[in-house]
Amino acid sequence: MSTTAVSAKEAVSKHGAAHHGAHGHGHDMQGDEHEHWPPDAQFGSASLGKIGMWFFLCSDALSFGGLLLGYGILRGQSTQWHHPGEPELGINFTAGLTFLLICSSVTMVLAHAAAVENKRKEMLLFLGLTVLGGALFLVGQFKEYFGIGGPGLIDEGLVFGHSAYASTFYLITSFHGCHVLTGVIYLSVIFIRALLGQFEGGKHNHIEIAGLFWHFVDLVWIIVFTFVYLVPSTPS
Amino acid sequence: MASHVNRKEYWIIFGVLFALTVLEVGVVYMGIARTPLFVALSGLALVKATCVGLFFMHLKHETSILRRSIAIPMSIPAFYALILIAEGMWRRLPW
Repeated sequence: MSTTAVSAKEAVSKHGAAHHGAHGHGHDMQGDEHEHWPPDAQFGSASLGKIGMWFFLCSDALSFGGLLLGYGILRGQSTQWHHPGEPELGINFTAGLTFLLICSSVTMVLAHAAAVENKRKEMLLFLGLTVLGGALFLVGQFKEYFGIGGPGLIDEGLVFGHSAYASTFYLITSFHGCHVLTGVIYLSVIFIRALLGQFEGGKHNHIEIAGLFWHFVDLVWIIVFTFVYLVPSTPS
Repeated sequence: MASHVNRKEYWIIFGVLFALTVLEVGVVYMGIARTPLFVALSGLALVKATCVGLFFMHLKHETSILRRSIAIPMSIPAFYALILIAEGMWRRLPW
């Protein structure tokens, strides 16, 4: 195990050497010390936080994979997917939501770019826009389900538990919606921390990690949009 | 620490994602047969997801072992899907 002199020393001086022993590992990945994480033979300059987020994202991908698989199997073997009285999904509206998430992914990478280059105002602006994009997506999803200024899918007869079509739709899209909500809260915290000046001087690691989560939410939506919304109904 | 900032690349990828989304919706309205439509949609989604992973999530800049340890687990559900959905559809067929 290769602990760096710099980060270990900083961690020790921060938390006291008493319970660390000679090496001080265990704490050296906390705080912002890993901005100086040394290049590793296998993982390059990827910080432990980043690798941890990737582990989580892989497990999360399997959760989505499980839901989509169940949906695919049910749909593949059904003879009638849409029952009479159930509405079609609005492709144009959700294409707009897809576009919104792609935009917020772009503002996220731009926020990270600004953090790397230590441009405070730009970083705050793009972080704010990313949070806004996520919030608008949630409003859009609320409108799709419940209707704002018009009937939502529930009013039109797509009711959870009434058919495999309805149940898989609500399960998958709301699971994704939970991720968007989590991302909005997560990025709001990052925004506040940026406002407090915690990412000054090119400390971009936390922003990059938050960005990984946010891009993953976008990536999953690309898959969900394609397979839940765009794949046409079984010919009847 | 190497910082992988390339604003031009980000905007190009944004353009690609936008164009492919338009293309996806367009393909649905074109009214082509079900199987080629499904293949086209899957391919487009895969390209879009790969773009996000490589460029926005910076996988392009990570070491190959990190890239592979992410790509392999992420591709497992796709293999399951291929096999299990095909099996489900096969059982439905009127033999």
